[in-house]
Amino acid sequence: MSDIYIVCVEDEPQVLDVVIRDLAKLEDVFPIEVAHSADEARELIKEIKEEGNKIGLAICDHIMPGDKGVDLMIEMQKDPFTEHTRKVLLTGQAGLEETIEAVNKAKLNRYIAKPWKPQQIVEVAVDELTTYVIEQEKELLQYMAVLDQERLQEAIRSKGYV
Amino acid sequence: MKSRLPEKPKAERNPNVIGASARPIYDKSTFVEKIREMMPGSELLSKLKQTFNEGQFMLREDQRNNKLFVILEGYVSQVKESEDRNTNIGMQGPGDFIGLLSFQTGEPVFTSAKASTKVTTLSLDHESFEVFLTKFPNVSKTLQGLIFSNLADRYRSVVNLHVEVAELTKQLEAEKNHLKKTIRELERTRNALISQEKMATLGELTAGLAHEINNPASALLRSVDYLATNLPDMAQRASTLPDTGLVRFFFEIGLKREFSDTAEQRARMKELAKKFPHLNRVRIRTMAEMDFNTLECLKPFAEKQEKEEMLQLLLDAYQSGVFINGIRLSTARIEYLVKSLKSYSRQSGKEPEVADVREGIRETLQILGNRLKDINVKIDFPEIPPVRCFVGELNQVWTNLIINACDAMNDLGELYLSCGLTKDKKNVWFKVADNGPGVPEKIKKRIFDSSFTTKTASQDFGLGIGLAITQSIVEKHHGTIEVYERQGGGAEFVVTLPAER
Repeated sequence: MSDIYIVCVEDEPQVLDVVIRDLAKLEDVFPIEVAHSADEARELIKEIKEEGNKIGLAICDHIMPGDKGVDLMIEMQKDPFTEHTRKVLLTGQAGLEETIEAVNKAKLNRYIAKPWKPQQIVEVAVDELTTYVIEQEKELLQYMAVLDQERLQEAIRSKGYV
Repeated sequence: MKSRLPEKPKAERNPNVIGASARPIYDKSTFVEKIREMMPGSELLSKLKQTFNEGQFMLREDQRNNKLFVILEGYVSQVKESEDRNTNIGMQGPGDFIGLLSFQTGEPVFTSAKASTKVTTLSLDHESFEVFLTKFPNVSKTLQGLIFSNLADRYRSVVNLHVEVAELTKQLEAEKNHLKKTIRELERTRNALISQEKMATLGELTAGLAHEINNPASALLRSVDYLATNLPDMAQRASTLPDTGLVRFFFEIGLKREFSDTAEQRARMKELAKKFPHLNRVRIRTMAEMDFNTLECLKPFAEKQEKEEMLQLLLDAYQSGVFINGIRLSTARIEYLVKSLKSYSRQSGKEPEVADVREGIRETLQILGNRLKDINVKIDFPEIPPVRCFVGELNQVWTNLIINACDAMNDLGELYLSCGLTKDKKNVWFKVADNGPGVPEKIKKRIFDSSFTTKTASQDFGLGIGLAITQSIVEKHHGTIEVYERQGGGAEFVVTLPAER
């Protein structure tokens, strides 16, 4: 049984620390992996793929050394392995044009502005991962503990699984 | 002012001139005709006839003259000679007089007379003038009348000239005022453009700063949240322990946490997960950050499940240290940014201050940190004397030059900053260079013009007059700014400023 990963890409270590901490309660089900740049993220994605696992959610900063967050997300959208990954932009500054590009080309699902409010990032992550598992997974019961139970139950009913 | 021809004598309209003969001679042409008629039959008149070739001077200014010339044929130009140029006074033709004033008054010639064509005259000296008057009474009256009207004409034109000069002076005054107004308006427009450009730079800086501050602010807020929820709980758990030394030790390790490469961290996590399969990922991740000795201290609690509570407490202590360190770093970062911003934008007073310009450049780099993420900044700043300057204004210079370099390199490349003392030790120079495409030879001369920009309207906030402003600021500091080709490619801007002794 393969794992569904959460990938966080953020160049500032202190910010990464708090993102991981905020998402800690999801980690029992969805292991978190981090990268400090788009290049590191590519390595990480390759590794997760080689280990036979999946990526359910990518949370990306935009302004980073090297390729920008939006560029990475567009790349992920083109790759069949990460095409269905839910994509969230977490940034203090992305111009309107970049955001439009992210929505259009990377199928960006959410945008969280820094600094975010407590719970905001968790709610977004829960919501997006719920969407991911409903779309991509057959066995949904295992996610009840950490994801949106109502939506999962609804999906289980409509999919015909008990 | 264009030279003005004296008005034509109006003898023909002058009722005072009435000839004594049966056929009165009223005007110049009739008078000339009469003389020419009489000339073949009169030995005296033939003797008085004198001709001049084209270009020949009849009279020279300031010389004595005892001749009165009556032009019978041809044209004579009158010229007032002065040191730097000659002014044409007017053209005299048949029936006009040359030398009238100097002949009558005995004073030096006032204006030179030069034959413009071949000229035939009746040349009278004082003696022949008297003879002429007595011998030809019927024309002499007309001659006197013509002389009078000639003088009257001259007087009239002098009056007219005065009036005209007064009018022109008035016009000039009006034009001068108009020009002054235009200059004031231009000045205002220029200032407005400059402040607009400044606002655009400010806009760009603010956008960058927002990101720069939001990052540490996020870390700060969320770290405080974590601590606020976890510290009371931790304190309670620790209070039941006989010895809290170990908790304190892990807290302090957390305070000193250093970051490792993410791939390395991942490898360590895998290794630890194998060693401690009963621990969850959150714990494994935290442990993967620790060095060998710290892990050894943790081992007794990590190996046995019944010690789990203690393990969690130590990990929480460590994590608290990490967050407090994060708060410290984030606060320092924000404080530093604000400080840089403050001194960067320092409002210049009326008097310049003696300052270390290198500081200003370093502050500018801080403020522009956001733009410089992918740029390898190479700084070579040896000790240099300070400069008397307006720090805030010079920072605008560095900002413009650095932003230009970033634009030229598309935010990816190398930025070289250096400074030094010129050979004569009178000036210090500052170099801002990049390894971008460089400045094409064609536009090198124009890049400091305010009307020149390579930026298209949609591309940028600014007006593209950044370099013009840069130059005007440098000039205000009695310095120079030049652009060169960098050795190895790219552009190189060199600002030279007078060193303060």
